[in-house]
Amino acid sequence: MTSLPPATLASRESILSAFEKFRDELDDHNDRRERLIKVGFLVHGPSSRDITNLSKKLIFLLHRTVTEDAGESEDRVLGLRAATRAKPKLSEIQSLFARLREELAGDRFWRYQRNVSPGLQEYIEALSFAHYLEHKTLISYEQVQSTLTDQEGVPYFVLPLEDYLLGLADLTGELMRFAIASIPRRGGRQKASDICSFVRACKADFEGLTPYLKELRKKQSVTSQSLEKIEDATYAVVVRTSEYDMPPELLDDLVAQTVSRAADRSSYGDEPRRKRARDADYDTDDE
Amino acid sequence: MDADNLEKINSILDADVEIREKIKDQVTEFDKRTRNLAGILNRIHSTRSGQMPALLETARPVLASCRESTAAIADIIPPNQFWKWRDMWTNSLRNAVFSATLMEYLQSGGLLSLEQVAGLLGINPEWQDRFALSVEDYLHGVITLVNELSRLAVNAVTLGDFEQPIKISLFVKDVFAGFSMLNLKNDLLRRRYDSLKYDLKKIEEVVYDVSLRKLAPLAKHES
Repeated sequence: MTSLPPATLASRESILSAFEKFRDELDDHNDRRERLIKVGFLVHGPSSRDITNLSKKLIFLLHRTVTEDAGESEDRVLGLRAATRAKPKLSEIQSLFARLREELAGDRFWRYQRNVSPGLQEYIEALSFAHYLEHKTLISYEQVQSTLTDQEGVPYFVLPLEDYLLGLADLTGELMRFAIASIPRRGGRQKASDICSFVRACKADFEGLTPYLKELRKKQSVTSQSLEKIEDATYAVVVRTSEYDMPPELLDDLVAQTVSRAADRSSYGDEPRRKRARDADYDTDDE
Repeated sequence: MDADNLEKINSILDADVEIREKIKDQVTEFDKRTRNLAGILNRIHSTRSGQMPALLETARPVLASCRESTAAIADIIPPNQFWKWRDMWTNSLRNAVFSATLMEYLQSGGLLSLEQVAGLLGINPEWQDRFALSVEDYLHGVITLVNELSRLAVNAVTLGDFEQPIKISLFVKDVFAGFSMLNLKNDLLRRRYDSLKYDLKKIEEVVYDVSLRKLAPLAKHES
């Protein structure tokens, strides 16, 4: 030990001054951690503009877009509409990632990866949902990475494989909701069965990767439950459809007619409201 | 999932698995060395102060051999991935910090600085983004040192060394004053810091016993 510089902390003063440096370094670390959590990633943060929150809102927006308009049943049109609406929201989230770039530079990314992960996964869930609605495919690792890359092609950070896969695992839950919500709509039965095959394929793909990723293993059971719900729903549809020998579109029309007739009847029966509506009409006519 | 994507995923996974396996092998080696070292140093509790330098001599080459482990691990880690893998060797590293600081205390009575420990373990500052001695790991090692010294205070008295507990008491109080300056989060380091007061208490009791019975060389201590 004689070869070392004579820097052994041999007095109270030298120990205290060394610990002062440690304090600064630890404070710096904790502050950065807090910043990352607040600015970008906290699930229930005080800010409504963090990445997790914006991603959740986007997912709701996508669900609304593809189920709200009863008149439009063309899948492609709805998909495009969803993608168009998603674009500005996704850009907003991506710009938040860009802002955190400095905080996550160099070896810092992996130091704070645990704090970054929840928001990143939520973002990937929203992004992959929008991607599915537009393309009917699973967004690839490279595609996700390219959304987290500046114009010169330099990534803000290297996307961890784990976050990519866990974000996709959450997508299957959204697809389950989408499939079930679609069933009462025109073309929904076909859609549900498409989603069913898609989620089944996802689950099979994930299965091969679970030995390496503990978290994915946990999410696989949720994916299984989602898949089962879709399977049960599509099963019920097939069983009932089989009792009628007609093409699915005709069945859709038949159901739609019944629904609209029922809607008409209920408005006839709803005298007070109708009367008020007529009164309102007369009023405007008078003016 | 299309074939390209699956291939990409598998190539990332394979690379990670390979790195993990390699690190694991090196950490096993590192662990053997630090355990061996701790085994040797465990004898301080039954070694009289006259024999202590000889004991430290036998420990020194083992401590030096840890350099091979840190270099081998640093060699495996890709740039910027220090924090991705560090959990794998953090225990071994903390044990090495503990042993190094214990040896220095027994020799000079002072606290080895973080930079000195890093130097002894051959940790090159240029490896910073691949292998470094973090403040956290250093502090964990120092807390283990305090734990060990509270034991030594008792055992030194048993061996007839009445001066050691007093030296330990002074040293540990200084270290504790250092820790008191830190704003610790509610983590393992914080819990271990909280437990230091029991070590301090134990050491104080030994000092009390020794002083009360006028066993310690009081005059020397007071001067």
